[in-house]
Amino acid sequence: MKPDLEDIDGALSELVIETVDTPVVILGADGSIVRFNSASERLTGYFADEAIGRKVWDFLIIEKERDTVKSIFEKTQGENTPTHFTNFWKTKDGQQRRIEWSNNTIRNKLGDVSYILATGIDVTDQVATEFALAETQAYLRSIIDACPVAVITINEQGLIQSFSTEAEHCFGYREAEAIGRNVNILIPEPGHSQHDRYIKHYLETGEKKIIGRARPIFAKRENGEKFPAMLHVSEFKDGTRIFVGFVEDLTHQRMTERRLEETQFQLQHAGRIGAMGEIATSIAHELNQPLTAAASLAGAVSLNLKKTDYPETKDAIELLEDVVGEIRRASEIIRQMRDFIRKRKTEKSLHRVNKVVEEATAVALIGAESAGIKLETDLVEGLGELQMDRIQIQQVLVNVIRNAVDAMQETTEKRLKISTSRIGGFVEIRVEDTGPGITDEMMKRLFEPFATSKESGMGIGLSISKTIIDAHQGKINAINKESGGCVFTINLPEGAYDEAAKRR
Amino acid sequence: MTRPQNAGRGAVFLVDDDVAVQRGVAALLTAAEYHVETSKSAEEFLSKLESLDRSNAVLLVDICMPGIQGLELQEKLVEDGIDLPVIVMTAHGDIPMAVRAMRNGAIDFLEKPFTVEEVTSALDRALSRPRSANAPARAAQPQLTAKFGTLTPREKEVLQGIVDGDTNKKIARSLDVSPRTVEAHRQKIMIKMDAKSFAELVRMAVTLDMTSR
Repeated sequence: MKPDLEDIDGALSELVIETVDTPVVILGADGSIVRFNSASERLTGYFADEAIGRKVWDFLIIEKERDTVKSIFEKTQGENTPTHFTNFWKTKDGQQRRIEWSNNTIRNKLGDVSYILATGIDVTDQVATEFALAETQAYLRSIIDACPVAVITINEQGLIQSFSTEAEHCFGYREAEAIGRNVNILIPEPGHSQHDRYIKHYLETGEKKIIGRARPIFAKRENGEKFPAMLHVSEFKDGTRIFVGFVEDLTHQRMTERRLEETQFQLQHAGRIGAMGEIATSIAHELNQPLTAAASLAGAVSLNLKKTDYPETKDAIELLEDVVGEIRRASEIIRQMRDFIRKRKTEKSLHRVNKVVEEATAVALIGAESAGIKLETDLVEGLGELQMDRIQIQQVLVNVIRNAVDAMQETTEKRLKISTSRIGGFVEIRVEDTGPGITDEMMKRLFEPFATSKESGMGIGLSISKTIIDAHQGKINAINKESGGCVFTINLPEGAYDEAAKRR
Repeated sequence: MTRPQNAGRGAVFLVDDDVAVQRGVAALLTAAEYHVETSKSAEEFLSKLESLDRSNAVLLVDICMPGIQGLELQEKLVEDGIDLPVIVMTAHGDIPMAVRAMRNGAIDFLEKPFTVEEVTSALDRALSRPRSANAPARAAQPQLTAKFGTLTPREKEVLQGIVDGDTNKKIARSLDVSPRTVEAHRQKIMIKMDAKSFAELVRMAVTLDMTSR
């Protein structure tokens, strides 16, 4: 049954064909198998005598590739050069193997095809590995692209090798534009022209100046805009050296910080003005009382003198009128001082209650006293906007929250709970602490000026708070909880305000 | 229910928590020939209200006191149907509060400290007021409305600012003019409205229902 192999170097060929570890199949001109080497047997599970005489596409080729293989087979007969293609073989036990084929034709002296020699390489495992690798790469890529910071890799020459999606957003270059360009396009001066030197210095000396530590820098977008960023660089070496840069855009963060700082500043300012106003009002009241008494007494004396007939009284009455005049002058000075400091009218506009509360909480918790305090917030959704003077309301909230924080300095359990809700036409803001609560004596004078239980502090915070909440037609109250600690509630009307706003 | 013979110009029920003020004002009013009945709190006044002869009498009460405040006392009297003219005193010079008092029916307000003339003219006006409700205010209204009609739009704006308790400076800023211009407007308004005092001007504004609620 052996084919006629006279025209090739018989014995040697035979040896090679049977020794090689790759499938070698010789097909006749009609496609039926004439040789099926032992590697083919091992690969497919068919013995040579099971295979020989059958057409290869009748049993070895998976169904959907049969037509393709047939047409390749027909094409091969017309060509003189080797052809290459890949297909799947089906083994006897039903497995699929991916084989890369090199086909060549063996022609007789007349030039007609007598045989086709097909040598294959089983690439099933290799492809699987490659596929797995590609999958891993795609997976890594997806992680990198999902990364909220820009990820950029460069080579030893400083040329960009990869550019993540966030890098595209952040810097404004497309990945395709960025790859291959010097990374210094992302760096404003002075770093821009120094960067190549930095890399060279590192490669020569191994001295790490930035690798492995985070550093704030300025970076440059495609449109030339400079922005603050945090840069982390790590190094990866696998034959070639790659540097990976993680760039975090801090613009937004800075803005948030700046807004908080601004709010803090405004609150401090408003606090000082409020304090001065409260003091001025108190002084005006306290001083006006004795001045009223004095003016009235002088008036009484003057009236009584007028009832007498002594000539000397005329002068005395005039002098007493001067006394009253001076008293009024003193009172006028007090009034001017108070008017100058006090009447900062509330400036109301629409603000989201929860946002106002969140900001105030953030500001109030800045500082060492807040350490160890467990904050719990429960801000009900859908509260919407309320007409208010944001700074003044935040001043109240900061004041109440700070009081709560101060109250918990000595207690072991430090829980601060801040919540918002809607109760019968009012928005209620609650601030609860686990401090010692308020003494009965203190409770009576809680919102009066100069009432304080603290060693430092003037005791006008809550008095100002009440003034502010009154101006918002709201209510502020404090109660001691049975479980310990106290609750401050601030109620702001939901509707009443629109009317006031309209009038302005 | 008794009143001494020398009741003179009428009875004044003085309520003020400050003892010195009480003594001073009482001395002044006694010298001015009023009968004075003092209380150091709204509560004390209410407790003896029944025993007082309220004919030809006026309540002179401080707005700012511990416990029941002046405004609340006034509201309580209105609620209880006690017809007693009320004059509020304020040491704060808190115009919005005074405006609120007048809206609630107070006849007048006095800024502490006050002169003999200021307090006596306010008391006499209150005492001469026909008893029972707002009849006089209504009667005066057409005349008042006519006076108000002579104000320029700008003067009306300034008047609105004044009764809202704004300072000249604040009014100037909101109208974008100088404080001096506001002062000039203010004097013009006083003349046109024929108001002898700031309190009277505020009272007119209340009657005209210009004040915000």
